[in-house]
Amino acid sequence: MKAYYTYFKLKFITGLQYRSAAIAGISTQFFFGFVYIMVFYAFYESGSGSLPMEISALSTYLWLNQSLFALINQFYRDPELFDLIKTGNISYEISRPKNLYLMWYFKLLGQRLSNVVLRFFPIIIITSLLPKPLNFTLPVSPQAFILFLVALSIGTLLVVSLSVLYPIIALLTMNEKGIVNIFAVVADLLSGVVIPIPFFPPILKMISRVLPFQYISDLSFRIYVGDISIQNGIYGIFIQLIWLFITITIGYSIMRHNIKRVVVQGG
Amino acid sequence: MSFIEVRQISKTFKLAKKKSGLKEAIKSFFKREYIYVEAVKDISFSIEKGEIVGYIGPNGAGKSTTIKILSGILNPDKGKCIIDKMVPWEDRKRFVKKIGVVFGQRSQLWWDIPTEDTFLLLKDIYDIPEEEYQKTKEDLVEKLNLKDIINIPVRQLSLGQRMRCEIAASLLHNPEILFLDEPTIGLDAVSKQLVRDFIKRLNKEKQTTIILTSHDTSDLETLAKRIILIGKGQVLYDGSLKKLKNKYETERIVSIKTKEKLEIRNKGIKSKKKNGEGYDIVIDTKVITISELLNIISKKIVIEDIEIDNESLDNIIVKIYKDYKI
Amino acid sequence: MKYYINALGMHLKSELEYRTSFIFSFFSQIIVFFSYYFVIISLFSKFDNIKGFTMYEVLLCFAVIQFGFAFNEVFARGLDKFDSLIVHGTFDRVLLRPRNIIIQVLYNESDFVKSSRLIQSIIILIIAVIKLKIKWSILKIICLLLMLISAVVIFFSIFLLAASYCFITVQGLEVRSVFTDGGKHMAQYPIGIFNKGFIFFFTFIIPYAFVNYYPLLYFIGKSNKVYYAFSPLLLFIYVIPCILIFYLGVKKYESAGS
Repeated sequence: MKAYYTYFKLKFITGLQYRSAAIAGISTQFFFGFVYIMVFYAFYESGSGSLPMEISALSTYLWLNQSLFALINQFYRDPELFDLIKTGNISYEISRPKNLYLMWYFKLLGQRLSNVVLRFFPIIIITSLLPKPLNFTLPVSPQAFILFLVALSIGTLLVVSLSVLYPIIALLTMNEKGIVNIFAVVADLLSGVVIPIPFFPPILKMISRVLPFQYISDLSFRIYVGDISIQNGIYGIFIQLIWLFITITIGYSIMRHNIKRVVVQGG
Repeated sequence: MSFIEVRQISKTFKLAKKKSGLKEAIKSFFKREYIYVEAVKDISFSIEKGEIVGYIGPNGAGKSTTIKILSGILNPDKGKCIIDKMVPWEDRKRFVKKIGVVFGQRSQLWWDIPTEDTFLLLKDIYDIPEEEYQKTKEDLVEKLNLKDIINIPVRQLSLGQRMRCEIAASLLHNPEILFLDEPTIGLDAVSKQLVRDFIKRLNKEKQTTIILTSHDTSDLETLAKRIILIGKGQVLYDGSLKKLKNKYETERIVSIKTKEKLEIRNKGIKSKKKNGEGYDIVIDTKVITISELLNIISKKIVIEDIEIDNESLDNIIVKIYKDYKI
Repeated sequence: MKYYINALGMHLKSELEYRTSFIFSFFSQIIVFFSYYFVIISLFSKFDNIKGFTMYEVLLCFAVIQFGFAFNEVFARGLDKFDSLIVHGTFDRVLLRPRNIIIQVLYNESDFVKSSRLIQSIIILIIAVIKLKIKWSILKIICLLLMLISAVVIFFSIFLLAASYCFITVQGLEVRSVFTDGGKHMAQYPIGIFNKGFIFFFTFIIPYAFVNYYPLLYFIGKSNKVYYAFSPLLLFIYVIPCILIFYLGVKKYESAGS
C-alpha cells in the first residue's frame, strides 16, 4: 500500500509546482463561469419559460462546477500514461511488481487533487463576494453540506475510475485519440459539466439517469444547493457506490486479463 | 578578415531554481529564485573558408550556445560575429541560405512521409531552381547511398539511414557552411564511417566549411585537423589536433620485435617488459623522444619490427578535462 | 505561398497514413461539436428567446464564430501548438530557413480532423439562414461574407497573441484558453446579451463585437445602419499590431533562447 501512497504523493507534489498553470486555470474557470452565468442570466431576464432552478441556486451550482472543474472534468489526461502507450514503454510499467491498475488509479487521483487544491479556494472566496444572485452561496443546510461532501468524495473516486479507463481503452484499441475522445465528450455532456442536468431536454435526461456520469458531480452539487432533498440524496449516494464498484471492477479486470496479452501481441 | 570571425562573444541565461519536496514546492509557488548562468564568456576565434573545425567540450560547456549564435538563432549579449561579411542574427533570410545545420538529436524530416517529399518542400523553401535541385539531389543520393531509402516514410528508416537523409536535407541548397551537431550520435560503426567519408569528400570537393561538435573522438580524429576546446564557456585550446595530442601525450609505449636480449637504462625510460617476441618499453617523451630511443636501441641490437602505440584521443580529452577541472 | 500549400498537402498525406485514427478522430469531432450546440438547443427548449434573439439567430452567430475558429485550427494549427514548437526546438529550424517566420509556423502543424467542424459550422449556418427567412440583398451577402472572414481574422489575431506569450514562458498556457476557447465560447452568443463591462472589453480590447454583433444586427434586420455591415473590416486593422507583437517575441527569443 505504501508504494501506491508514494505514487499519489509524488503526483500531488508535482502538481503543486505548476504555479502559473494554476493561476491560468483559475482565470479560465472564472471566465467560463461568468460567461455561463451571464448567458443563463440573460435567459432568465428575458423571462419566458419554465425555470428548472432558481437563478441563485444555479449560480452556486455553476461556481461549484468551475471551482471543482479540475477534479471532475473528463478531459484531463495524464500525458505520461498516453506516452507510455504510444512509445511502447508500457512494458516497463507492466514488469513492475505492483498492480498496474492501482498504480494508475493513485497517480490520477493525486494529479486531480493537487490540481483542484490550487484552484478551488480562490474561486470560491472571490465568487462568494459577487453581487446577488450571481454569487456563490452557503449550502442549504448543515445536513446537506455533509451529504455533499460524501457525494463529492465518492464522485471523485468515480471520475478517477472512469479516467483510468481511458488509457486502458487506448491500449486495447491502439488508438489514443478518437475513441477516447468520443467517450470523454459523451461522459462530459451527460455528467452535467457542460450544462446542468435539470436543463436537459427530456430524452437526454432519461438517458443520463441510467448512466454513471451524473453521479460524478451533478448529484453532489444539487444536494448542496437543495435541488435534491436529503432523502433522495442518500438514495443517490447508494447508486453512486454501485457505479463506483462497477467501474472499478471493469477497469481492474480488463487490466488484469487483457493488458499483458495486448502488449505482447503489439510487440 | 577571416571567413568566420568571432570576437569576445558572451551570453548569460536566467534560469528558475527548482527544489524538491512539498515545502519547497509551496515556497516556490509564491516566490521564485533565479540563477544566472554564463553559457559562454569572451569567446573568440576565426575560421577560414574550407576548414573543418572540431568544436568540443563536455556537456554544458557552451557548445550548442555557440552553434546557435553562429547560425543566427540566438544573438549574444556582447561581442561581434561576422560570417562571410554578414552578422548572422541580422539579415536572417539572406544569411541562412548560406548555411546548413544538422542537429543529430532532432529531425527536420517529416516523420510520416518519404524523405523525397521533404526534399521537394525544401526545394520550394530555399527557392532552388529545378535544374540545380536535380543535380544536387542526384549527387547527394549517390554519395550518401540514398537511392533505396528516399521513398520510404521516415518513421520506417533506421537511425543511420535517417541521419544520412538529414544530412542530405541540410545540403540541398548547397550551403557554404555546414554545422554538424553530433552527427554520428547513436549510429553503428558502418553508418559512422559512411557519414565521415561523406563529410570529408564534401569538404574536399566543394570547399564547404564545416563546424562539427561531437563527443565521439574518432569523428574528430578522422575529420578535424583543428580543434577548438571549450569548457565552462571559455576557449581552452584552439589549434591543431596533433599539437594537442603531443602536449598531453607524454607517455608512449614502444614495442620492439627482436630475438636478441636488450639491456637499456637511459633517463626517460619508465619501464621495460618482456613480451612474447620482444619488449614493451614505456617512455616519457618529454625526456626522451622516440627517435632518440630507437637510435640507442638500434646501436645495441637488431630490430626486426617496431610498433608505436598512439594514446587515444579519448584518454587525452579525459586528461585535459581533469587538468582544467571541468 | 506555393510551399505553404505543398506543406498542407503533406500534412494531409501524413494524417491519412493513419486511416482508422483519422476516421475515428473525425467522428469524435462531430460529437464534440454537437456538444457545443447542444447547449444552445437545450436552453432554447426551456426558454424562447435570449434578450430578444431567437434560437436561429443565436445559431447563426454560433456558426460564424465556430467557422472562424475551426478554420484557424485547420490552417493555423502551428500557432495553436506554438509551445511545442518552442519546447522541441522546431522553432530553431524555422529561424534557419529563408522564409517568412509566421507562414512557416502556420504550416508546421495542421489538423485536418478539425475540418469536420468546419463542415458542420457551414451546415448550421445554412440551416440558420434558411430558417431566418432573410430578405436578401447584395449588401447582406457581403455582410455575411465579411462576418465569416472577420471571424477567421479575429481568431488568427488571438492565436498570434497566444503564440507570442510562449516567447515569455511556456508555462501556464492554460491562460490561452481564456482568449481562444473562452472567447469562442462567449462569442457564440451575440455580445449584446452580456453586461456592459464584457461588451466594452469585447468591443475595444478583443473586438468580437465587430464579428458577431453589429454585422449580425444588420444581417437579421434588427438594424438598418449600413456601416454595421462593414464593421468587420476593422479586424484587418486589429491584426496588424498582433503581427508586430509576434515579431517582438521572435526578437526576444533570439536574445534569450528558450
